[in-house]
Amino acid sequence: MLPCTGRIDESLLLKAFENGADGVMVIGCLEGDCHYVSGNIRARARVKRVYGILDTIRIGPDRIRMFNLSAGEGSKFAEYTNEFVEQIRKLGPSPINVVRAKQGSAVTREEAT
Amino acid sequence: MKGDREQFSENRVTPTGAVLVIGGGISGMQSSLDLANAGMKVYLVESSPAIGGKMAQLDKTFPTNDCSMCIVSPKLVEVGRHRNIELLTHSEVVALTGDAGDFKATIVRHARYVDIDTCTGCGLCEMVCPVTHLSYFHPPAEEGQKKKKLRPQEKRVIAGRSAPQPTSLFKWKFSVDEQACGKCGGCYKACLHGAVSWQKKETASIDQNRCTGCGACYVACPAAFDAVRVDEAPGLDKSIGAAVGERSRLLAKHFAEESRGSCIRCGLCAIVCDKVMDISALKLVEEGIEAGVDICQVCGACVSTCPVDYLSIDKVTNKDPRILANSFNEGLNGRKPVNIHYPQAVPRVPVIDSRSCVCLNSGSCGTCATVCGVGAIHYDHVETSSVVEVGSVIFSPGIEVFDASVRGEFGYGLYANVVTSIEFERLLSASGPTSGCVKRPGDGSHPKKIAWIQCVGSRDHSCNRDYCSSVCCMYATKEAFIAKEHDGAIEPTIFYIDMRSFGKNFDTYVDRAREHGIRFVRAMVSRIFEDPVTGDLELRYVDQGGTRQREVFDMVVLSVGIQVPEKVKELAHTLAIDLDSYGFVKTDCYQPLATSRPGIFVSGAVNGPKDIPETVCEASGAAEAASASLARARNTLVTRQELPPERVVAEDEELRIGVFICHCGTNIASVVDVEAVVEYARSLPGVVYAEHPLYTCSQDSQERMKEIIREHRLNRVVTSACSPSTHEPLFMSTLQQAGLNKYFFDMANIRDQCSWVHPDDPKMATEKSKRLTRMAVANASAAEPLKEMEFDVDSRLLVIGGGVAGMTAAIEAARQGFGVYLVEREPHLGGQLRHLSRSENGREFSGLLAELERRIGEEPAIRLFLSSEVVEQSGFVGSFETEIGLPTGATRTLKHGAILIATGAREYRPQIYSLGDHDLVMTQTEFGRALETSRAEDWRRLQVVMVQCAGSRCEQHLPYCSRICCNQAVRNSLRLVELYPEARVDVLYRDMRCYGLGEIDYRRARLAGVNFIRFDPENDSPEIEVTESGIEVRVTDPSIRLPVKIWPDLLVLSTGMVPRDTEELASMLRVPRNEAGFFIEAHAKLRPVDLSSEGLFMAGTAHGPKSSSETIVQAQAAVARAATLLSRRSLKMSGVVSVVDPANCAVCLTCVRACPYGVPFINEDHAAEINPALCQGCGICVAECPAKTIHLGRYDDRNLEAKIAAYNNG
Repeated sequence: MLPCTGRIDESLLLKAFENGADGVMVIGCLEGDCHYVSGNIRARARVKRVYGILDTIRIGPDRIRMFNLSAGEGSKFAEYTNEFVEQIRKLGPSPINVVRAKQGSAVTREEAT
Repeated sequence: MKGDREQFSENRVTPTGAVLVIGGGISGMQSSLDLANAGMKVYLVESSPAIGGKMAQLDKTFPTNDCSMCIVSPKLVEVGRHRNIELLTHSEVVALTGDAGDFKATIVRHARYVDIDTCTGCGLCEMVCPVTHLSYFHPPAEEGQKKKKLRPQEKRVIAGRSAPQPTSLFKWKFSVDEQACGKCGGCYKACLHGAVSWQKKETASIDQNRCTGCGACYVACPAAFDAVRVDEAPGLDKSIGAAVGERSRLLAKHFAEESRGSCIRCGLCAIVCDKVMDISALKLVEEGIEAGVDICQVCGACVSTCPVDYLSIDKVTNKDPRILANSFNEGLNGRKPVNIHYPQAVPRVPVIDSRSCVCLNSGSCGTCATVCGVGAIHYDHVETSSVVEVGSVIFSPGIEVFDASVRGEFGYGLYANVVTSIEFERLLSASGPTSGCVKRPGDGSHPKKIAWIQCVGSRDHSCNRDYCSSVCCMYATKEAFIAKEHDGAIEPTIFYIDMRSFGKNFDTYVDRAREHGIRFVRAMVSRIFEDPVTGDLELRYVDQGGTRQREVFDMVVLSVGIQVPEKVKELAHTLAIDLDSYGFVKTDCYQPLATSRPGIFVSGAVNGPKDIPETVCEASGAAEAASASLARARNTLVTRQELPPERVVAEDEELRIGVFICHCGTNIASVVDVEAVVEYARSLPGVVYAEHPLYTCSQDSQERMKEIIREHRLNRVVTSACSPSTHEPLFMSTLQQAGLNKYFFDMANIRDQCSWVHPDDPKMATEKSKRLTRMAVANASAAEPLKEMEFDVDSRLLVIGGGVAGMTAAIEAARQGFGVYLVEREPHLGGQLRHLSRSENGREFSGLLAELERRIGEEPAIRLFLSSEVVEQSGFVGSFETEIGLPTGATRTLKHGAILIATGAREYRPQIYSLGDHDLVMTQTEFGRALETSRAEDWRRLQVVMVQCAGSRCEQHLPYCSRICCNQAVRNSLRLVELYPEARVDVLYRDMRCYGLGEIDYRRARLAGVNFIRFDPENDSPEIEVTESGIEVRVTDPSIRLPVKIWPDLLVLSTGMVPRDTEELASMLRVPRNEAGFFIEAHAKLRPVDLSSEGLFMAGTAHGPKSSSETIVQAQAAVARAATLLSRRSLKMSGVVSVVDPANCAVCLTCVRACPYGVPFINEDHAAEINPALCQGCGICVAECPAKTIHLGRYDDRNLEAKIAAYNNG
């Protein structure tokens, strides 16, 4: 949980992949309805930049997505999450995890940070 | 500068520093918060079980489509937790004695049967309660008599398509207690499976191999013997009701939806009826269930217990079932007798409804009390009464919607698919009965064509609702908008008379709705006919061309108006305040918030129909009005929290983390293996203590947590429990009370985000809980103690602008005990009001102006600067410095703690219809003045044409609606024809926007013969020629559908309002204005007089067009908001603020550009600096800073990275 999606930056998103995430969802306020005026618009731009990076390093841009929801949309959140999880299931484990599994070593704390 | 002279004259003895607020809707909540934050003690009395009012029921709010619950729930929590607000829900004021400054109010607290202080709001009671209907209770046994067993006379066998398929899943063990057995053979006869062996005069026994566990023997065994024993039934240690519920839920989970509908002979229905309800109306038979329909009390327990939906309520009884309607969901679904008002309710404590609770009426059941883990349920509660002493009272009980069945032609209550707008609001709501899915109540299908009918119970003389309800045009547009957003296939149509979108940005919203495919039809629907087969609805109306139309819709929403409830009228009578004929509170337009009884103030829709922002304005205004005369008693009755000194945790101190994994009754523990999570938590680095309280948030658990922190010298605390947004403040305050910095804390949500969403996968849910706990522990490990900075506050207020808003604000602020600097650009006070002639009730404004000027002159706490302007401004909330240019050319620096902008507006003067070139063409304001000096010989037979929206609502001139012009035109017309009955007025208009009680004058004007001609600016704009020889107006009158020509003596233009030039001021104060030049409020709904920068407020027409009484309300509201700052010696800021480490700052200005609030600046040391008093803590700059040299406590990279690392580090 963050005060605003405007707080996240590219390095944090990439760290999540580095630490074994197969997919990352970023969920912010509805556009135009940001609690902090424009944080979610900035977050959108950063997520977009991460698309590019993931594409370049062959992890694939489909593993990250930004969603916009209001706090009253619990069922929509569940719907989006299921949809995204399904998408990640289809893609399978992220190449980072595949390589690590091949090496037969779990992620150690040193590698992770 | 001390301004308390007036208070002495008002009241010689010290008044009581407390205020009674009646009604806990958005109005009462806002008043309470403003008062309590300005040092007043508040008693907030609400008749329903929880605060929130109508706003909590709404799905979204116009014109921003904000989620209503999202924006109101922080207020709910704040009111609920405020130490100076005593919240009295489920309570009523029954008497008020005494006078202003010294009232005594008697408050009755109705029996709740649930203890507010011990209840944790877990909702278990509501889950286990088997009752769904209002029972027909059997008369209780007479005193001394034993209760007679009921014997059914009328029996009905409920058989399915096939014979019951007995199940032995989650089977209980039944056995006969030989000592108790009466040898009657009842069990033997009841058993359908030959599992009981019995012979006359011998004890019975049960063959466990043949027993299916249906419990028929258990039910059949006479109460006198009670010889059948139950074992291996989970929950039985609590009560039989709890055990029945437990098995029912297990079975329901096992039998998926599709396999339901046939009896599985679990026997739970008969057991619940006999053992829990003490009725015995049900019996298991070969074909299914035999119901004693005459003795059934229709409580619904058997139906709600049946795990396979085999039973239905109408089959088990011969009486009419009466479902318990959920009033929060407008009766669209049911509720239990023990019921939490709504999921986000504050207090989140259920009420037991004494009418329907079986235990309270017959003494049976009592299941909820047996499952409550904290013992909060007390069936012996009684109504109590208490007396509180207060200085003032705020009356804000709110409104109800019109009873749509009065307009019988629309078939509400008869046609299933005709609903009211508030019902539709619940249908749209994600937390409503359909989870936000728009469905027809009749058949659950998705409607395509939906019609809204406006003015149902508004602008309607036939049912004594002459007034306009002010909100319906906008809420209908919003509902149509949102419905279409939910389901793009929906085709909404709104049938209306006038589109009254008169508020700030409302017209733009309606335009957007039109672009989104919402159809607006100007027509009054005469009748609705239902197709009895399909449930579709045929609407009949006459279109604009005069042709009769029939159109079929799937669903109809009636835009019901608002009205004052009878109970509120009675309450007003008790309080001895005067109401008008509709029940709205009578007020004076110069004192719009004062009732007829001194010391009682009014706010909200009970003071005339209004929307949320206006209500919030009035609420703050009423708080100001109620506290001004109590200013000397400020801070006399409030309590402050005393905290122990904070323990200094050295940076190298070893981690000592305490972890609390909450059961939340069974909310978490029934899914998540909490003990396993505790074991796991103990293994995490730094954790020295872990436990699993039943309710971590309960009072005794909190006391225990404090002891544990001290005993184990904990330096970090983690709870894995429910939502941080509701409970984090509580846990943080416990840390503070234990002498620990409150930011040494983190919380994992293993209820809402784990046990509630994964009830079917306990194993994975337990693993997820471990992971969430691990991440919270990692985050807490990385936590740093944060300091909450304190700033001194200068108690003076700077008011910019000396019109009616600024003058009122200055006087009120002085009454509140603050020093005031009043700065006016012109050489005299008064602003636009100097040009206006008469107020809403016909009094001359000159009197008001003279009175305000006199008071300002006499008030030593006000320093007036005429012909002066703000030239420079610096500082921040609590300590501003403003330089003003004086008429002498010199400048002067003023120090003050807050700023109030009241720069006002003026009448627009467009270059149209020869305005300014001809004396016969004038603006509405000029006409008002001309009326004052008119003479009968000139004006006796005067012919006037008024043109509305002359330069408003159009692209070339003012794109917005100026709100006041319609009412102004109506009032001027009325005055003309009242003075000169032979005069003639034709008003050319697009929509007559006589909102609220202005509609009554509009009707009076029509009755007085004023002629209103509607025109469509796109198709037939009126053609007006003004020449030396006179004026000619050509327009098509839609009522006769013919072109008409008028040769009036005068042409009066309603030109609208434009803000004063504030461009420089706005940039100096760094506050945003909209395209038209009006200042933008911090939040369109809930902070209507706050500006986005802390410590800046606004009032009056600087915010947007409004009437003089609305301006006075806003001025009072802005003072109330400022008082929440100025009344404090110092302000404490959140510790979560961005801090620049200047060592790495490259002065690239990225943060300066990125901050949405314009806070970062470059200091004298050539590094970026962020004033903690202004920082909002969003963290945008932290993410943007290329040098990574900005840090945000709690959400710093080290915290987030620790959390991310812990994600996969099991």
